[in-house]
Amino acid sequence: MTDTTMYQRTRRRVEPLYYVFLIPTLLIFTAFVIIPALIGIFYSLTDYVGFGDWSFLGLSNYAALFSDPRILQSYGFTLGFALVTVVVAQTIALALAVALTRRIRFATTLRTVFVIPMVVSGIVVAYVFNFLFSNSLPAIATAVGFGPLEESILGNPDLAWLSIVIVSAWQTIPGALLVYTAGLTSIPNDLYEASALDGATPWRQFRSITVPLIAGFILINTILGVKGYLGVYDVIVGLTGGGPGTATSSVAMTIFGGFTGGDYAYQMANATVFLIVTALISVAQIVATRGRAVQL
Amino acid sequence: MSRRSFLAGSAALVALGVAGCAPSSSPSGGGGGVTLRFYEQKQEVIAYFDELLRRFEKERPGITVVHDSTVAIAPQFVRNEPADVGCFNDNLELARYIKRGVLGDLSDLPSAQTVRTDIGELTDQYATYPGRTSVLPYSLAAAGVIYNKRIFAEHELPVPETWSQFVDVCDELVSAGITPIYATDRDTWTLWQGLFDYSVGSLVAPGEFFARLKELGTDVGPDSEVSFEKDFAVPMERAKTISSYFNKDHAVRAYADGNLAFGKGEAAMYLQGPWALSQIALVDPDLEIGTFALPVSENPEDRQARVNIDLGLWIPTASTHQDEARELVEFLMRPDILNAYNADNLAYSTLKDAPPQQDERLAGLQDYVDRAAFYQGAGTFVPTSIPLGNYLQSAIRSGNFQGMLRQLDADWRRLAGREATV
Repeated sequence: MTDTTMYQRTRRRVEPLYYVFLIPTLLIFTAFVIIPALIGIFYSLTDYVGFGDWSFLGLSNYAALFSDPRILQSYGFTLGFALVTVVVAQTIALALAVALTRRIRFATTLRTVFVIPMVVSGIVVAYVFNFLFSNSLPAIATAVGFGPLEESILGNPDLAWLSIVIVSAWQTIPGALLVYTAGLTSIPNDLYEASALDGATPWRQFRSITVPLIAGFILINTILGVKGYLGVYDVIVGLTGGGPGTATSSVAMTIFGGFTGGDYAYQMANATVFLIVTALISVAQIVATRGRAVQL
Repeated sequence: MSRRSFLAGSAALVALGVAGCAPSSSPSGGGGGVTLRFYEQKQEVIAYFDELLRRFEKERPGITVVHDSTVAIAPQFVRNEPADVGCFNDNLELARYIKRGVLGDLSDLPSAQTVRTDIGELTDQYATYPGRTSVLPYSLAAAGVIYNKRIFAEHELPVPETWSQFVDVCDELVSAGITPIYATDRDTWTLWQGLFDYSVGSLVAPGEFFARLKELGTDVGPDSEVSFEKDFAVPMERAKTISSYFNKDHAVRAYADGNLAFGKGEAAMYLQGPWALSQIALVDPDLEIGTFALPVSENPEDRQARVNIDLGLWIPTASTHQDEARELVEFLMRPDILNAYNADNLAYSTLKDAPPQQDERLAGLQDYVDRAAFYQGAGTFVPTSIPLGNYLQSAIRSGNFQGMLRQLDADWRRLAGREATV
């Protein structure tokens, strides 16, 4: 009895100001994200083109979706791309973060330099790299006589995806780098000193101290990274436009094509499936890494 | 996903903002004046139409016209607040609005009788609404092969009239060390607009082909009466040969690169429409340029020009100022105004007994327009949910145009299965 009263009293003590902070955001989020999403999901069950009359179709858009090779290809490309890019970007970001938190020369300056890509808009970065890949790189390759790169990789269906990995990684490494830097500075230095006295090599220190203690940061970076890469759009538009052929068409690009192509309802079905896929991947990541992080 | 929703959300907000800024189209209280919203978003002629609208306001006191030049056409219809008069490219996108009956009938306007019938019929090739003339063609753009007259003269090359002459011209240019054709694969629309449309148009009439294809719907296949695989086989052989004469780095070049390179005289021919001419003139205003229709058969009589209705006028049924809107349409359709617009903007008049286009760069196509020896590009009949331009990119690289045609048949069947071919 007293326990319950205590509990209730504690619950009542929640600062009302928190709700004041929460409610506007919640209202805006509901009005501009949740309700439109629900409307979109509803229209995915119809033949709506964006205006005028429509009729209810049930699940036939979904059935058509799963037999459409172009849609399936875009999922294959997007998932593969996200996987490769997250590995590449996280590895480089972690390596850079470790290097930059050591007492090396110009660490502060370098940290600032490395963060620059983050503040430049994706489409601008993509166009700049487009020029490098189309003109500079082939020119250099021709000058030094390196055959494979004399033709731009953007025009090669087997290699074009690499350009998107490179640019996406280049653009997202700084964000991950910042998170890792924060994680690394939170590790007390005496752990390293103690282990050094016990004769641990730097590699052993990295494996047994650094990685377990920043596992939470790795998790958050990977989830945010994968989520971001799954929605890849602007970088592709600026680099390859989804080509050559449809080799680099991402799911987001096929969805967006539906708005201009009169395929609104069909691509809404695609968007709904994509939402579920993205959510499932995030949940799977959280479950797979749950409890792995070590607390000091 | 959330970023995309956010972008879509912001786009919607911006669209609402723009609409909010535009004066309301409801009758304003003061003076009983009426405000019309005129939708026209072709960048190059926005200022031109602004001037026409001011002229109209002077001639017709009591009506104010606001020029809406937002890029996307869909939002105004989605909100059910379309402009009172629209002036837009007549293409598959507009066809969706025609087919669903949201554009009113203009057949009883006096100016409707002044439009050339053979041009008026072009709009029906995309879509019709029973008993209605939904669009009045305003401006006809004609396209062919743009060529550098100086290079042709220096190597004493004739303007080709048959397919084999065309191939000879290309071969001679190659042996003279000149790039015969400049292509810009990176902007995939340039591939279907030029290579695809020109290769098909003079061999297979796109209007009839796609009408049959729509009737067949899900039955399209290798054994059906018409199909991409069967009917476009010869045209795509031509396309394959033509693509072998492209500049070496065509795969990574974009439209702007093409205009620059052609303007600098780096290639003899360019498969583009009149819209490129003003861009090329920025590079070299004195470049001597001509245009010819691409010959794809051995009979010179088969040659036709690719045309499109660059602008057409329409009045949405949802407009609350039908009478005033019709007055504006009648004003714009006046022969002195319409003919002047087309003469000034490298296009052809859509009216009967119109004066010819005087620009020397386009003179080579006048005869085709006069004889109605023209077609609307096959690529313009392909819904954008079939990435034709991207398919062409692959086909040019691999040389497998047949595979692309089979893919088009399969895509068409799928689209027809969910009735999304228009």
